[in-house]
Amino acid sequence: MRKSSSQFFARALIMINIIFVVVLPLALIVVWAFSASWPWPHLLPQQFSSRGLEELFSNRVFGGVLLQSILIALGTSFSATTIATMAAHSLLFYPSKLNKLIRFLLILPFLVATPIFAMGIQVFFLKIKLANTVLGVIVAHTILALPYAAYLMMDAYSALGRKFFEQSQTLGAHRLQSFYLVDLPLLLPSISSALLMSYIISFSQYFITLLIGGGTVQTISLLMFPYLVSGDRTLASSYGLVFMLATIAFMLILQVISRKASKTAALFDS
Amino acid sequence: MRKRFAKNKLNSLLLLAPTLLLSAIFIYGVVNGILQGFGYMPFLGKTQLTAEYYLKALSRPDFLRSLGFSLKIALVSSSLSLILGVVLSVLLLHARAGKVSRLISLGLPLLSAHTIVALFMVSLFSGAGLISRVLAQFGLISEPSQFSSIVGQPGGLGIILVYLWKEAPFIAFVTLAIMENISQKYQESAALLGASPLVSFFTVTLPLMYPTLAKAFIIVFAFALGSYEIPALLGPTAPKALAELAYMEFQNPDLLNRPYAMAINGLIAGITILLTLLYFKILSKEDKAALL
Amino acid sequence: MNKHEHTLGRRHFLGLASALAFGSAFSLSACNANDEGQNEAGQKGNAAQVGIDYANFEEVVAAARGTKVSWYGWGGSEPRNTWINETLVPLLKDKYDLTLELVGMDINDILTKLSGEMQAGVTEGSIDFIWINGENFFSTKQNGYLWGPFTDYLPNFRDYIDATSPEVLYDFGSPTEGFEAPYGKAQMQMWVDSAKVSSIPKNPEEFLQFCKDNPGKVSYPQPGDFIGTAFISTLIAGVVGKEKFEELSKMNEPTIEAVQEVVQAGLDYLKELSPYLWKEGKTYPADSGALASMYADGEVVLNMGYGDPQVQVNEGSIPSTTKSFLFETGTVGNSNFMAIAQNAKNIAGALVAINEIMSPEMQYEQYEKLGNITVLDLNMVSEEIKEKFESKELGSAQLPVDELLSNRIAEAAGPVIPLLEQLWRDQVPPIK
Repeated sequence: MRKSSSQFFARALIMINIIFVVVLPLALIVVWAFSASWPWPHLLPQQFSSRGLEELFSNRVFGGVLLQSILIALGTSFSATTIATMAAHSLLFYPSKLNKLIRFLLILPFLVATPIFAMGIQVFFLKIKLANTVLGVIVAHTILALPYAAYLMMDAYSALGRKFFEQSQTLGAHRLQSFYLVDLPLLLPSISSALLMSYIISFSQYFITLLIGGGTVQTISLLMFPYLVSGDRTLASSYGLVFMLATIAFMLILQVISRKASKTAALFDS
Repeated sequence: MRKRFAKNKLNSLLLLAPTLLLSAIFIYGVVNGILQGFGYMPFLGKTQLTAEYYLKALSRPDFLRSLGFSLKIALVSSSLSLILGVVLSVLLLHARAGKVSRLISLGLPLLSAHTIVALFMVSLFSGAGLISRVLAQFGLISEPSQFSSIVGQPGGLGIILVYLWKEAPFIAFVTLAIMENISQKYQESAALLGASPLVSFFTVTLPLMYPTLAKAFIIVFAFALGSYEIPALLGPTAPKALAELAYMEFQNPDLLNRPYAMAINGLIAGITILLTLLYFKILSKEDKAALL
Repeated sequence: MNKHEHTLGRRHFLGLASALAFGSAFSLSACNANDEGQNEAGQKGNAAQVGIDYANFEEVVAAARGTKVSWYGWGGSEPRNTWINETLVPLLKDKYDLTLELVGMDINDILTKLSGEMQAGVTEGSIDFIWINGENFFSTKQNGYLWGPFTDYLPNFRDYIDATSPEVLYDFGSPTEGFEAPYGKAQMQMWVDSAKVSSIPKNPEEFLQFCKDNPGKVSYPQPGDFIGTAFISTLIAGVVGKEKFEELSKMNEPTIEAVQEVVQAGLDYLKELSPYLWKEGKTYPADSGALASMYADGEVVLNMGYGDPQVQVNEGSIPSTTKSFLFETGTVGNSNFMAIAQNAKNIAGALVAINEIMSPEMQYEQYEKLGNITVLDLNMVSEEIKEKFESKELGSAQLPVDELLSNRIAEAAGPVIPLLEQLWRDQVPPIK
C-alpha cells in the first residue's frame, strides 16, 4: 500500500511539473506568436495579429533559411554522433595511456566558453576558405556538439561493455559486421539521444554561426535574435515557434525510428 | 601478436582521427583567442606579448564584484539544478513514467533555446508578467510595480531561474539511464537485505552515481560561468556577470580594445581550466572504480 | 518471425539514416555549389569592375547589371525590413537588374565580421555596404576598412543633398570626407500614454516632477544601448545647456576628465532622478527592446526612440492614446549613413543601390512608411516631391518634421560616447 501511494505522489508531481513548469511557459510563446497587444492586467491577449505569420511566410528567404538550418543541424548531428561513436569505441576496445588525454580533449569545449573559441577561430576559417560556407558552419557546430555526443556515447559504451562484440567476433564476424549487427542496435537509444542533442546544439547556435557564417549562411537563430533584442515579442515568438516545431519534428522522427529498431534490444535482455 | 598489436593501434588511430582533428582546431582557436589577450595581434602589427591587458582586467574596480556575482550564479544554479535533476530522475523512475512523460519532462526543455526560455520567463515573472496579472485578478496587487519583477533582480534570480529550467532536465536526462541501471542491479539486493528504498537510495545508488553527477555538475557550472546572453537579458545593471563584461569590451568599436576583452575571457577560461583539473581527478577515481 | 522484424527494423533505420546523411551531404554540396556560383557572379562583377571609372555613373550601372549586392544593417525593425524587401529589392531588380540581399545583424557583429575578413586578408569580402554611423563609422574609417571617398560619384547626392550641411560633413563630430552617404535622419523623441499621465514634461525640471508624480513607472535603457545613451544625452544637454553639451561633439581626442567636466551636472541630475524611477533606479532595462516591452505592457508610461512609434500604434501593439513629444531644451539627433566596405565584392552594385536609396522617391517612401526624416534638401527636389513631403498627414503619435529639426542637439563625438557611458555606469547605478 505504501508503495502505491508514494508512486501516486510521484506521478502527481510529474504531472504538475509537466503542465505548469514545462508546457505552460512554452504555450505562452505560442500565444505571443499570435498576439498584437497584451497589456497588463489582462490574462488573455487583447488583440490578435497574424503579423508574425505574415512576416514569416512573406519573407522570401525564410523557407530557404529554415531548410538550411535543418540541413546544418542534420549534418552536425550525424557528424558529431558518428565521430563520438568512433571515439568511444576506440576508447573501450583499444585502451591506451592516451585514453585520459582523449577523454579530456572530448570534453574540453564544455569547459572553455564558446566566445573565446569563436573569436579565435574566425580568422583561421577565413584563411582556409571555410568561412561563409555551410560546411564551415557544420564543422564549427560539430566541434561544439561533439562533447555532448561523446559524453552520451562514452556512457553508453561503458554500460554495454565489450562482451557482445567479442562474442560476435568469436562466432566469425569481422569488426564492422559485429558493430553493425550487434552493438549498433543496442546502442540505438543513446545514438538517438546523441543525434537529438547535437541537432539542438546546432540549431540554437547564434554567436558562432554569426562569426563563421556571418550573414552569408543564415539560420533561424540569426533571424530570430534581432527581434528578441528589439522587444518585438510577436515576431520573436513566431520564430521561436518555428524553432520549436523544427526540433520537435526531429525528436519525433528519431522516436519512430528507434522504436522500430529497438525491438532487437529486447532479444538481449538478460 | 605484434601484428595484431600494430593493427589495433592503426584501427584505434583511424577511429580517433576525426576527433583529434576537431580537437586540434578547437585548441587552435582557443590558443589564438588567449594570445589576443596577451596583445598578440599580428594583423595590426602587434607581436609583443604583454600582460598589461590581464592586469588591466584584474584591476578593474568592478572585477571582484563581477567575479563574485558570476561564481555565485553558477554555483547556485548548478547546485539547485543538480538536486532538482536528481529528484526529477527519481520521480520519473518511481512513477514508472512512460515514454511520453519522459519526452515532455526532459525532451521539451532540452529542445528549447536559452533565449526562448528567457523570453517566457520574462513573460511570466516580470512586473507585467502572467503571475503578476493573476495576482492582480485576485486583487492582491494593483500596479505592475508592486510585483517584484525578476528582470534585473539584483541577486540574479531571473538568470538562475532560466538556467534551472534548462539544466535540471539536462541533468535528469544524463543521469536517468544510469540511475535506472543501478536501480535494477542493486535496489533489489538492498531490499532483500532489509534496507528501505530511501535508505538504499542514499547509501547505494547515490554514491555509485558520484562520478556521473560530478561530471554533469562541472558541465553545467562551466556553461553558467561562461555564458553572457542570459545575464545580459535578465541580469541587473550592476554587478554584471564576468562574461558580460568581456562581451561589452568586445563590442567596443576600437579594435585596440579587443585584447582587453580577450583577457577577461582568458580569466574566465582560467577558472574553468582549474575545474578541468578537478575533472581529471574524478576521471582517475572513476578508472579505479571501473577496475573494481 | 522475430528475426525478420529485427532485420527489417535495423535496415529501415540504416536506410533512413543513410538517406538523411546523403541528403544532407548532397544538399551541402549543392549549397556549396550555390556559394561558388555566387562567388562566380561576384567575381564576374569584380572582374568587370577592374578599371571602372567610378565617376562615370553609366559605367557603374552597366557593371552592376546582373550582379548581387549585400547590405548589412540592424535587422530588428520589421517595418523597415518589409519596406526593403518588398519595395526596394524589386525596384532595384526591375530598374537595374541588381539583386539586393539584406542581412540583418547587430552593427558590432557586422564590424567583427568585417575586421575578421580584413585581418585574414580577404579581398572579396561578403559585406558590400553597411548601415552605419557614429563611433562605429569613426573606428572603421580609422582602421582603413571603408572604401571611398565615393559620395561625389552619386548623381542623387549631387542633385539633392546639401553637401555643405554639417549633418552631411560630420558624423558625430568626425568628418565624413565622402566615405559615407546619408541614409536618414534620426531624432530622439519621447512618448507617453496620454490616458495614464496628467501632464507632459517639457524640460528636465518638469521631467523630474513627472517622475515624482509617476513613481516607479518611468525608466530608460542602460547607456551602452544607443537609445539609452541618447536619452541621457538629451537630459544632460537640458541641464548643462545646449551650447555646453555641444562641446562634446567637437572632442575628437577626448579624455575622461574633459568629458566629465562638461557633463557632471547632468550626471548629478540623473542620480537625483533615480529613486523615482522603475525599481527605484536600482537597475535599468538591459536594452531598448526590454523598455519597449514594458511600455507595451503598461508597466511603464513613457518610452523613447530615434523615430516615432506610429507603426506600432497602427499595428495595435501599443495604446492608441500614445502621444509623442520633445523637450523645449531639445533632443539629440543624428544622421545615419551607408558606407562601403574596403574589400567589398561588388562596389558598383553598392553605388547603384546607395544612389537609389537616396532618390526622392525612395526617401519619400521611407518617410511615409517608416516615419524616417529625409536627408534630402527639400529646396533641391522637384515641386511635386516637395508637395508630397509637406502635405503628408501626421499620425497621432507623430511630430512635424520642422518641429523636430528646430529642436535638435548635436550628438557627442564618436570617441566620447564610450567615455560618457562609463561615467554613467560609475556614478549613477547604486553600489550595493
